[in-house]
Amino acid sequence: MAYDPVHGLVPGRFNRRQLILGSSTAAVIAAALAACGSDNKSSAPAGTNAPAATDAPAGTSAPTGTQAATATTAAAAGTPKAGGILRVGTLGGANDIIDGQHIVSKADIMRQVTGWEPLMSFSPDFVPEYANGLASDVTAKAADDFVITLKDGIKFSNGNPVTADDLVYSFTRLLDPDLALYGGSVLRTVLDKSGITKVDDKTVELKLKQGVSNFKETLCAYTLAVVPQGYERFSGDPSTQVGTGAYMLKSFEVGKESVHVKNPNYWDTGKPYFDEVHITDFADSDALINALLADQIDVAADIPSASVATVQGTDGYKVLNSEGGGWLTISMAVDQDPFTDVRVRQAMRLIVDRDAMVEQVLAGYGRVANDLYSPLDAAYAKDLPQRKQDLDAAKKLLADAGKSDLTIDLFAPNDTAGLPEMVQLFAEQAKGAGITVNAQVIDGGTYWGDEYLKRTFAVDYWGTRNFLLQVAAGSLKDVSPYPDDHWPPAGSTFEDDYKAALAETDDTKRKVITDKMQKELYETGGLIIPFFQNLLDAYNGRVQGLVARPNTLNLDHYGRGWKNLFFSE
Amino acid sequence: MSNNWGVLKFIARRLLLGVVTLFIVSLVVFAATQLLPSDPAQAILGRDANAASTAALREKLGLDHTAFYQYTHWLKGMVTGDPGDSFNARQPILDYIGDRVVNSLFLLFLASVISIPLSLWLGGYCARKRDTTFDNVVSNAMLAVASLPEFVVGIILVLLLSVRVWHVLPAVSTIGIGQGPWSDMRGMILPTAVLVIGAVPYISRVVRASMIEVLESDYIEMARLKGAPESVVLRRHALPNALGPVFQVIALNIAYFAAGVIVVEALFNYPGIGGALRDAVRVRDIPVIQFLVMVLATVYVVTNLAADVATVLVTPRLRTRMQ
Repeated sequence: MAYDPVHGLVPGRFNRRQLILGSSTAAVIAAALAACGSDNKSSAPAGTNAPAATDAPAGTSAPTGTQAATATTAAAAGTPKAGGILRVGTLGGANDIIDGQHIVSKADIMRQVTGWEPLMSFSPDFVPEYANGLASDVTAKAADDFVITLKDGIKFSNGNPVTADDLVYSFTRLLDPDLALYGGSVLRTVLDKSGITKVDDKTVELKLKQGVSNFKETLCAYTLAVVPQGYERFSGDPSTQVGTGAYMLKSFEVGKESVHVKNPNYWDTGKPYFDEVHITDFADSDALINALLADQIDVAADIPSASVATVQGTDGYKVLNSEGGGWLTISMAVDQDPFTDVRVRQAMRLIVDRDAMVEQVLAGYGRVANDLYSPLDAAYAKDLPQRKQDLDAAKKLLADAGKSDLTIDLFAPNDTAGLPEMVQLFAEQAKGAGITVNAQVIDGGTYWGDEYLKRTFAVDYWGTRNFLLQVAAGSLKDVSPYPDDHWPPAGSTFEDDYKAALAETDDTKRKVITDKMQKELYETGGLIIPFFQNLLDAYNGRVQGLVARPNTLNLDHYGRGWKNLFFSE
Repeated sequence: MSNNWGVLKFIARRLLLGVVTLFIVSLVVFAATQLLPSDPAQAILGRDANAASTAALREKLGLDHTAFYQYTHWLKGMVTGDPGDSFNARQPILDYIGDRVVNSLFLLFLASVISIPLSLWLGGYCARKRDTTFDNVVSNAMLAVASLPEFVVGIILVLLLSVRVWHVLPAVSTIGIGQGPWSDMRGMILPTAVLVIGAVPYISRVVRASMIEVLESDYIEMARLKGAPESVVLRRHALPNALGPVFQVIALNIAYFAAGVIVVEALFNYPGIGGALRDAVRVRDIPVIQFLVMVLATVYVVTNLAADVATVLVTPRLRTRMQ
């Protein structure tokens, strides 16, 4: 978990980045599942990066490891029953907000998804689709010109129809630099206010600043949601929180609880099923688990891996263990000594015992990674050989670089679970290569302060994005908001390749470019990515409809705003 | 008359001392929050901070003033009942966490009204039954319980009564939106029990020791020889004289409650000042930190003051010395 139940909610950090998931990659996951069977937890974590069988059935909504049974139960549950109050527990606190287009913490994401919806969404295979979105069609007239048509008959929770004017307002609000909305950070780089045109009552045209071959994926971001004209953030009056989501806000006491009632005008026929959804904040994950096991809540979002056994050992309760694409990284600044020397970077990557990292940092709830991000993207370079610990090779590289007796500080913040454990384990493993890595775990406020992104050897955490969006977010030192490793180094063609890929609308040709980029990152990059994390939630067995499948958000995308969930008889 | 004047003067002097103590605490709190690593504006903006937005926020929060100005401004607000606005929530502190202060004080109140009479009875009874099996069992059990940290006690109670063995009590408190903690008395049982279990061993042991000392004194012997019934001896003659040290322990325990609620609140998800304080420290919400620490310090000073005064009032020796 890159999310510390106790300290993880520092504003402006976690999940800022968890915007977009890559496109179709079910093949990777399906193959991994085929390889590791269904009910065998011990083989699951390492499975994902195994070479994919080419004939893997894409589109299987892949139950992972431990939770195969869960998916089956949900599928077999039969006709959904309407009624009841779903009680949800989440880690949250006094800093929670409600905004249809902005989030700070995981609790905020949950409440945002409850009340608002984007234009498109990812299918279970991570292809942009219309099923859960408000658009009926998005057509690219050119690589930089998109026409968006709204579905018929969609109304806001107050009964007003959703029109092109609302869409124009939604995009305009996202672009407002003063609001600095989470959903707008990507959009602002490709769209100006002047590029938004209302075509008719249901149609809006967006003229982008440049060709963006993956723009439909951008539109799948949950924070690129549609809000009514004049919408503003919650500031005391629940009736202002109008959206198209399955539930609408009835009351909200910050840091304590929000109550959401069924949206009577909801467009997705027959849904949702519950009369109300209550979201309660917990400051502590022990209290969260206790509340679940004492039947005071039905669903506990984002539980620590240490409590999985407790939940599974209690009759009537289940754990939802879904593959996510989130990752932690140790970053080496490629423009700072000693990491200007590529051999030192390569040595550091060979020092890592990735299996041990998954076991000790994630308690087994993750998959070994290969120093590359975006595992769920169809373009993920899955054929590159899995890097393994090789201390002899690492020693030789260090000796060649004249750094055999290297001593270096590795910084990590104390407010994000997993990061301190990761650097401490890395420091241990580095001893095997004869170098001294001092794990420096420091106050989170200081870590994310002025020195953040300037340190030579540090860490960071990321959510799930597809490859090109991740490059834009972190691997272009002059434009990325979070350039952890100061990539690319001088003389690299990486940035030009990125621009070429963005302008290339042909998938096959684009894949050639992104393969080249990933090979460069794999061979000479500055990030050590030891693993991808799973998403862990717990729930009462009477809650039906949760499916364990690769996902960007906890609780099966919060049951898509709870509309997919219901109680068994 | 002169007798009363002495006591009043004593109370006035102690009140003044209390105010001076709070003033010194305020200085220390203010200085300490200035020394917190990282700037509040930076902490609020988090990873998205840049020079311009940080500077703008610093100005908005009044952080660009001198420390002396900030301190006097804040102190004036505290004294006049306006502790300022939360940096983070951007609303007046009393609106923001007033409910939480009430919730915590209610928990403190419940724990006190249960643990104090219970300890007095238990300690007194053990003193009377000194060295019997009852006394030995209770004393040893108390010692064992006192050695357990409160979160261990809390976890054991939750496992026993809510989650594992019996499902009779809620594991976390569920106070509805806009409601006081008294709306969920069932949810109050376990948090209160943990605090009571934490306090009773200490208070009752002091009561027992103090009572034994008094019961061995000459005037008790005299009262008994005069034929006073044992219950009267205990209530009229022994208890008042044994109370002096007990008040001090009670005061210490109430102060301990004020800190203990922070742990207990986290365990039972009780919406009190513990969670608020933790959130405030995390995002460097300095006005909230200062306010909450001052609330805790005030509880501490007031209970100690009350204990000192009460001790004087029940102890003739001390009372007469003030004439």
